[in-house]
Amino acid sequence: MSSYNTFRDFYEKELRPDLESIDIRRRTTNKKVLTALTLTAIAVLLEVVLIPGNTSFPKPAPIIITVMAGLITAGVAGKSFKDEYKTSIIARIAAFADEGLLYSPEGSIPKDEFVRSRIFLQSCDHYSGEDHFRGRSGKTEIEFSEITAKYLSSSGSGVKQRNEYVTFFKGLFIIADFNKNFRTNTIVLPDTAEKLFGRFGQTLQSAAFGRGELIRLEDPRFEKEFCVYGEDQVEARYILTPSLMERILVFKNKWNKEVYLSFLNSRVYIAISMDKNLFELRPFRPAADYAFLEESLRFLTLLTGVVEDLNLNTRIWTRE
Amino acid sequence: MLYTVIAAAILLLLTAVLIFNSLIRRKNDVENAFASIDVMLRKRYDLIPKIVEAVKAYMNYERELLTEITELRIKALSQTLPAEERVQVDNLLGTKLTDLLVAVENYPDLKASTNFLQLQGTLNEVEEQLAASRRAFNAAVTIYNNSIEVFPSNIVASMMKYRRRTLFEIPAAARDEVSAKPPVNMA
Repeated sequence: MSSYNTFRDFYEKELRPDLESIDIRRRTTNKKVLTALTLTAIAVLLEVVLIPGNTSFPKPAPIIITVMAGLITAGVAGKSFKDEYKTSIIARIAAFADEGLLYSPEGSIPKDEFVRSRIFLQSCDHYSGEDHFRGRSGKTEIEFSEITAKYLSSSGSGVKQRNEYVTFFKGLFIIADFNKNFRTNTIVLPDTAEKLFGRFGQTLQSAAFGRGELIRLEDPRFEKEFCVYGEDQVEARYILTPSLMERILVFKNKWNKEVYLSFLNSRVYIAISMDKNLFELRPFRPAADYAFLEESLRFLTLLTGVVEDLNLNTRIWTRE
Repeated sequence: MLYTVIAAAILLLLTAVLIFNSLIRRKNDVENAFASIDVMLRKRYDLIPKIVEAVKAYMNYERELLTEITELRIKALSQTLPAEERVQVDNLLGTKLTDLLVAVENYPDLKASTNFLQLQGTLNEVEEQLAASRRAFNAAVTIYNNSIEVFPSNIVASMMKYRRRTLFEIPAAARDEVSAKPPVNMA
């Protein structure tokens, strides 16, 4: 990052020449996708008109096959461009944000890490992720990716039974080394009960099943935003010092999203709820769109900034 | 009519039993939290001789401070010390230990010693755990005090002769420590 004064400078000198050739390919890809979709539509139309009603096979079968073939062809064309764009441009923006940041467009935080964090207790029946970054800031190792987690919900019974996947988390998931050693699990969740029901909400919180003991902390602003569960009253406070509570509040306000934290095995797991799909160029947006690239950099800086935000590099305790 | 009276009496008795049990639980939580402060203090007492041993060869001008720390430790460990006084001794011991870590800044050789750095890391950890235990104790006391003062549990509490407990005053030095600012720059 140091060799360039600003991102604009880096963009003009390094990215722009490549972005122009990528943009030509983007337009070609769009044409391919549009052609595939148009041909599919024509084929479906012909099938509807030409296939007689009294065939030996069900009439929708060829139509379904045609639609699927068309969508797969369009999808493959679109994906190969998306991958190329991510490996050549987003990876370089990551390196600009932090030289040691490794990027894997199709990688993600492993499912078992997500489940182990115990932030969400729902059964994780469908899990997917992308845009995985891994790096080190000072003494702190950090990795993050986009995650979508769903559980299977069934309604009705017998032949009327309907199964559908319901999303319980979509957003960013971060894992970073914590600067202290600890044995037990402490979880910080957004406080919806207290916000909605005030003091009665506190009573509801203490009855949260499967979450361990409710930890009531002394900072009223923190208590208003979050509720904390832990296995050990002292260790939870050893982790959540007044200073860290303050830092978590600032971090939450910076993102202005629902933020969940779990402290486990001397690491901190952070989930940030977000609908936006980051690092994804829309097909009809020019590849050289500066605002989009700058936004990607801004998010990367915010994400790697978590080490600084939570002061994770301060190692004055026994953890090296 | 009789059934209503019996039902009301049973309900009243049940409520009293629930309040009684919850008060006992809260009192035990306070005692438990107090014991955890004691555990952390013992960790600190165990660490002090090691620290004094590690620094005394390097520190020529802080002999007095080292002697003071050693004496305070012995005093704090004495069985006969009243509880109030012991709190004061412990707070003073905390301040003196911070002074010691500040003084270490003047001895570059000592600051570079691996043994000392390890001990300093452990001390920071113990101090932070101590601060956490005191905060846990205060949280338990707040819940206990609230429950013996609000209606209707205050009636049961007065029958059980439960009295308000005082909160632990966290010394200014410990407050600085919990602010996650290193007492000594380790860079």
